Amino acid sequence: MSNKFYIYLLQICWTICTTKHYLISSILKCHYALCLIRAEPKKKKKADPRRELQLRERLKKRLKKLEKVPSQFIPIEDFITPAKCLDETRERSTPKLSFEESEGRALLLKEWSRYKKKQHMAEVQAIELALKAQREALEELKLESEELYQAALMQDPLLFPFTHEGPAYTPPKTDYEAPDGKFNDITKVYTQ
Amino acid sequence: MAAPCRRMASWSLPRFLSCFGGTAVGSTGFRQFSRTAVCRVTLQTKSMTDKPSSPWTLMAAVCLQRLPVISADLSPIEQQFGHVMHQMELEKSVLSDHELQLLEDAERMSRKQAGDYDSDEEGKDEEIMLAQDLEDSWEQKLKSFQPAHRVRADVDQDVTSVQRCLADSLVLLAEQQVGSQKLWLLPQTQWQEGETLQQTAERALTTLQAAGFKATFLGNTPCGVYKYKLPKAIRTEGSVGTKVFFFKAILSDCGPPATPDTPFLWLKKSELQHYLKPAYLMKVDHFILDF
Repeated sequence: MSNKFYIYLLQICWTICTTKHYLISSILKCHYALCLIRAEPKKKKKADPRRELQLRERLKKRLKKLEKVPSQFIPIEDFITPAKCLDETRERSTPKLSFEESEGRALLLKEWSRYKKKQHMAEVQAIELALKAQREALEELKLESEELYQAALMQDPLLFPFTHEGPAYTPPKTDYEAPDGKFNDITKVYTQ
Repeated sequence: MAAPCRRMASWSLPRFLSCFGGTAVGSTGFRQFSRTAVCRVTLQTKSMTDKPSSPWTLMAAVCLQRLPVISADLSPIEQQFGHVMHQMELEKSVLSDHELQLLEDAERMSRKQAGDYDSDEEGKDEEIMLAQDLEDSWEQKLKSFQPAHRVRADVDQDVTSVQRCLADSLVLLAEQQVGSQKLWLLPQTQWQEGETLQQTAERALTTLQAAGFKATFLGNTPCGVYKYKLPKAIRTEGSVGTKVFFFKAILSDCGPPATPDTPFLWLKKSELQHYLKPAYLMKVDHFILDF
């Protein structure tokens, strides 16, 4: 009986709302809302704060991105000529070169390029010969036995990192004690 | 059914025996042992030894190089070019702080001596140490340091010393018995079953040399091969000849100084021709890099 009454009320409310009779409809809307208190309001309480928080966070993120200034690049000190070097008082008094000397220099440069080219071609040829010898060796090994060939092709994990001291101008002295060196490191360190 | 089988069995046995028969030059008792073991296997099953054993004996040799310790002397054109480049760079440069100081000091000295000098004016700028004095003190320090000699003629002549010819890369040669002759060659030894050729080369270095050489082997791959056939008198079906595989190594530490009786030499690439056989030298020359 009460259910039927409630349903009848809802139906009335619905028809009044649709006919835009404001006064009655507003009173009945309140009643409509009161009827439906048990059904929806709990959900609204949870969903709205969460949604509002999310909206606020998104807005904050967008604001932060706009406010962020792009960081400056670290200057490469080698590419910047220090102002000291452009000082006019530092210019060297260059003596003028005679014609023969400048000619001699140009010819020497050409001679040098020819010499270097010969050296380079000889190096390339030597490397090619070495590679050819290696290829021959691998082919012969393949003819011999397959497993030795496979073992030869495997990488040696102990080889790298490989270091070797290069040549200096004079050979090392056997019983030389190098003096202790102290130095102040004045390199500029930039933080971004 | 039974008769043809018997015939097949009788054919295969002698063929297998002939394969492994004969002795190779430089072969050890190991080879004999393997032949009997394999034969025993063939008697039971034919499929086990389907892989044909090659008639070539395998050996591994090590090409140990001592890299240059000092920089090489400049050739005449390199010296000339270096000199010209230095001059050109000097002309294009500007005066440094030290040079400016020198000029200032020289000016001040000349003004002092001219007599036209007001000491009160320049009392603040007067320095205790002149730049020229600094330079002189640096020169003195340099002279007090004696570097080792670059070239020592007596050591260069001694072919067994590892300290000779510090500007070139040297290769190790050992005198070994091959067949009936004693020859100078890169240290080699025969390959044994169960090890890679790289390990054989390492063994060659450690066993044949009395002195302790510490070497870094550059990889597992051989860098060259030399094969020679035995003279027809000794040649059999089982061993036609030998294949020697070369492996490269770099000397990292030479052990105690060599005794005068040691049978090995350190030679430059140009000197190898006096000690090695021509055919051998031709193959070895390719992979020994001089630069």
